[in-house]
Amino acid sequence: MLNYLLFIATMGGLYGLLALSLNLIWGGAGMVNLGLAGFFAVGAYASALLTTTGHAPILAGWALALIAGGLAGLVVTLSTTRLREDYLAIVTLGFAEVVRLVAANEIWLTRGTDGISGIPGPWKAALGTDFNPVYLVIVLAVLGVVFVLVRRIDRSPYGRVLRAIREDAQVAQVAGKPVLRFKAETFALSAAIAGLAGALYAHFMSYIAPDLFLPLITIYIFLAVAGGGTGRPAGALVGAYLLMLLLESARFIVELIPAISAVQRAALKELLIAVVLILVLRLAPGGLMPERIPAAPRPQTQGKP
Amino acid sequence: MTRIAFGRRAALLTGAAAFAAPAVLRAQSDPIKIATLTPLTGAGGPYGPVMAKVAASVVEEVNGAGGVLGRKVQLLSEDDQTNPDAGVRAARKLIDVDKVAAIIGTWASSVTTAVAPLCWESKTFLCTVSGADSITQLPHQGFLIRTQPNSTLQVARSGEFMLSLGARKIYTMIPQTPFTQATIDLMGKLVSKAGGTHQGLVYDDKKTTYRTEVDQVLRTNPDMIFAAGYTTDTVVLLKDIYRAGYKGKIIGFGYSINQKLIDQIGQPEVVEGVYTYSPSPAEGSTAFERVKKATGLANPDPYTCQVYDHANLVLLAMAEAKAATGVAIKDNIRKVAQGGGTTVDNAVDGLKAIAAGQKVDYTGASGPCDFDDKGDIIDCKFRYEQIKGGKITLVKVA
Repeated sequence: MLNYLLFIATMGGLYGLLALSLNLIWGGAGMVNLGLAGFFAVGAYASALLTTTGHAPILAGWALALIAGGLAGLVVTLSTTRLREDYLAIVTLGFAEVVRLVAANEIWLTRGTDGISGIPGPWKAALGTDFNPVYLVIVLAVLGVVFVLVRRIDRSPYGRVLRAIREDAQVAQVAGKPVLRFKAETFALSAAIAGLAGALYAHFMSYIAPDLFLPLITIYIFLAVAGGGTGRPAGALVGAYLLMLLLESARFIVELIPAISAVQRAALKELLIAVVLILVLRLAPGGLMPERIPAAPRPQTQGKP
Repeated sequence: MTRIAFGRRAALLTGAAAFAAPAVLRAQSDPIKIATLTPLTGAGGPYGPVMAKVAASVVEEVNGAGGVLGRKVQLLSEDDQTNPDAGVRAARKLIDVDKVAAIIGTWASSVTTAVAPLCWESKTFLCTVSGADSITQLPHQGFLIRTQPNSTLQVARSGEFMLSLGARKIYTMIPQTPFTQATIDLMGKLVSKAGGTHQGLVYDDKKTTYRTEVDQVLRTNPDMIFAAGYTTDTVVLLKDIYRAGYKGKIIGFGYSINQKLIDQIGQPEVVEGVYTYSPSPAEGSTAFERVKKATGLANPDPYTCQVYDHANLVLLAMAEAKAATGVAIKDNIRKVAQGGGTTVDNAVDGLKAIAAGQKVDYTGASGPCDFDDKGDIIDCKFRYEQIKGGKITLVKVA
């Protein structure tokens, strides 16, 4: 039981990282990134390949995942500078599918649909059964650092510019803000976080395959962020953990219902998850922890003669 | 203050003891837990539900006859959603919370590869129907067997059959899977050895039409098409091949071209004359008849037959070992699966024979079920069939 809880907590942490990444770009700058699974995959593959085929240390893999995710993010933003909203969403969704198809078909590099197995975990052999708690600590530490970082951005003048761009990019431009630079930087940072999450995921599971990076995971994270509270890092984080809790507890709830077949139980589980998510969005449209926009600071000269 | 603290701690301890004590007493009569992990939703959705159902029927029969080692058997069924991520979460729950001794029926190769390390690390036995060659090459320490012949064997047999039908210009149409490249290479070797020509085309299995792919293939005028996909994509593919006016022969795997596919296409002329083949039980096998009865299907697919065998083998191995753990199954499964002795085709008869001190040799619905050291099946017959007038008719078993 304990191992299972540790496992779920770790998975929740990884989903939390993805949620923070999405919240930064979607909640912050208002750019709909449906390609989250693609950046997640880029990071996972970069780190897995460097540490298995390249025999590099795991930390190098994680660093590469950050860089690879960030670069992929830059490429996507710079090639979509004129797209907004739905159109950007379509292109990013396409990007994720391209990544998945490349992973499935470029067998010489990615081992195709066989996937990459035997990805090393940090000190896995030495730790034995203690691997799960140690990895949870690593994930939580990374999550903590990223959380502090994005919250810092959220509350800084930089975050205010992002929100201005979200509300009306033209106005921000008129106010003299370099909108494109802000968008590109934020998108790259968000993609880098998703890439890092992918690397942490790969070394935790020890196996990755193209099937892992279907758009479903992007949808899950969108639900987590929307349910938790768009535009607020803490909301995204809470949303991710609640989503994981919901996904897993549904399993135990449907087991309590007697005299139904396994298929009905599986269908009921999906139904239950959907109903809860609909209820959350219906009853709390801004999410469980809605965005709080701090009042603009008063000019310091006020009140002085 | 300290006294109160002590009181609390003592109360806690007593409470914990009260919970723990019956657990210890109960251990002897606790049910033995095994689990199916099949795709109940997602791409494998057409296969998984009946797989779970047939495993439940085996467990029900065994419980009706008194269980295993004097304990009832409890079957849990989780959904892997045909997705490795969901599969791993479900497997973790089965292993850590339910503490099952064995997981049976993993279907997609990617799910099996993701779940396998969890199983061998926690000494849980895993039986799979995935065909990718790489699966039995994992460092599984004996905690894995598979009843599906690996793809090399399957493809070699189908190639030989195509050549025996007189085909010389063969085109393989296959989605991207772990065995795609191996299939194309192997077919190429087989066909060119027989003096024919072979070409392969890899398609994306999530497309809604294959007209361009079909046009590309028909341009070379093949006399046989090997449609090596799964049911969902093959339905679309066969329709497009028919529309393009192709007159040659078509063959595909039994797990894809089956009654379900005929029903889904709904036009008998589209599938008229199409060949299908699958691993088969030896002729006169009674286990296959039992699977038909348990599922109510006239033509249960190979995966269902294999899961029937998984459930029986796992239960027999526990009885042979007189212990209900993954390690016990690992050490004893080959003793009940092969090596001569009383031939049995179901767990109830086998359990009686083991109780009477006999050596049993299980012969199942999917074949003789004999395994080599890596966990692959050793020998396997194939059943070749052809669709005539919307019905699947037997050509030969060889």
